[in-house]
Amino acid sequence: MIQVKVKVFRSNPEQPQNKPHFDEFMVEADPKDKVLDLLHRIKWEKDGTLAFRRSCAHGICGSCAMKINGANMLACEANLKNFKDPTRITIEPLQSLPIIKDLVVDQTDFFKKYDIVKPYLINRTPPPTRERLQSPQQRQVIDEATWCILCASCTTSCPSNWKNPNFLGPAALLKSYRYNFDSRDEGIAERINVLDTNNGVWRCHTIFNCVEACPKDINITWHISQLKKKLVSREY
Amino acid sequence: MRYVKHYGTWGYILHRLSGLALTGYILIHIYLVSGLHNRPAWQHEMEIFRNPFLMVLEWCLFSVVIYHSLNGARIFIIDYFNGARYQKQLLTAVLVLSFVFFAGMGAIMFL
Repeated sequence: MIQVKVKVFRSNPEQPQNKPHFDEFMVEADPKDKVLDLLHRIKWEKDGTLAFRRSCAHGICGSCAMKINGANMLACEANLKNFKDPTRITIEPLQSLPIIKDLVVDQTDFFKKYDIVKPYLINRTPPPTRERLQSPQQRQVIDEATWCILCASCTTSCPSNWKNPNFLGPAALLKSYRYNFDSRDEGIAERINVLDTNNGVWRCHTIFNCVEACPKDINITWHISQLKKKLVSREY
Repeated sequence: MRYVKHYGTWGYILHRLSGLALTGYILIHIYLVSGLHNRPAWQHEMEIFRNPFLMVLEWCLFSVVIYHSLNGARIFIIDYFNGARYQKQLLTAVLVLSFVFFAGMGAIMFL
């Protein structure tokens, strides 16, 4: 067992007299523990007022995305032994989104941008008697893009998004790829007006923070580059 | 906002800084050259730039030009080919090539 000094960002906008600050907790942990285990121990044994999101605790739901030791990741996947110094952990909320309390951020803006790219199948042709078929090769084209769990790690790690909050961000653009490159979809004409703008694909400056932050190892920048190529070559 | 800087982030920061440096340089360059209206004035200006300190600055300017150009090519490969899959290898290639050109230019200028 090791003693871990955990610094946790605390903020409660409903109590403006309590300015945002860091609280420190000493937590006993196994080196194989995850950062989410530390947060549980703090909340259950030391300070029940700490607020954070979590649900599945197995890297599927994307609820526990936060900034840990300066980089976005899922708390449930952040293994202590993988940190350079597992005895010192700093936990902050995802940056650039408004804070509701402590590590809980308001994701309204994130999901509004997600809605803008129309993340659903658009096909005006009459449906066949059974399902719309897709070959394994056609499915392969969108395979990686379907791994996204909408944790917001990518969009909140993107400097272009910090600088320009109107930028759609990597998550929404990835979702746009997922449908625009789907062999069954015919909706690119409806999505293009938000993609081919200063706040669409062209705001991506290939910084690759999103790729580093993605807990599902999706190369988001590659998918955005495919959208750029599609727009430039007018293949739609 | 504090965030860990990854390899690709440094590539971006260097690209922006070199772009700003080149913009500053071009303004100074235009200002200095705009006042030279005859051959003696031009030759006098060139004499000044043979000063070893200014030659070292010129060498540094070359490093900025070469990094910005090569990284521009890297961004092109990322955006229009499959470069995003190999961005770290491409950035390493840009840095190594920049150093090779920088050293080569140093040899031409000072040896």
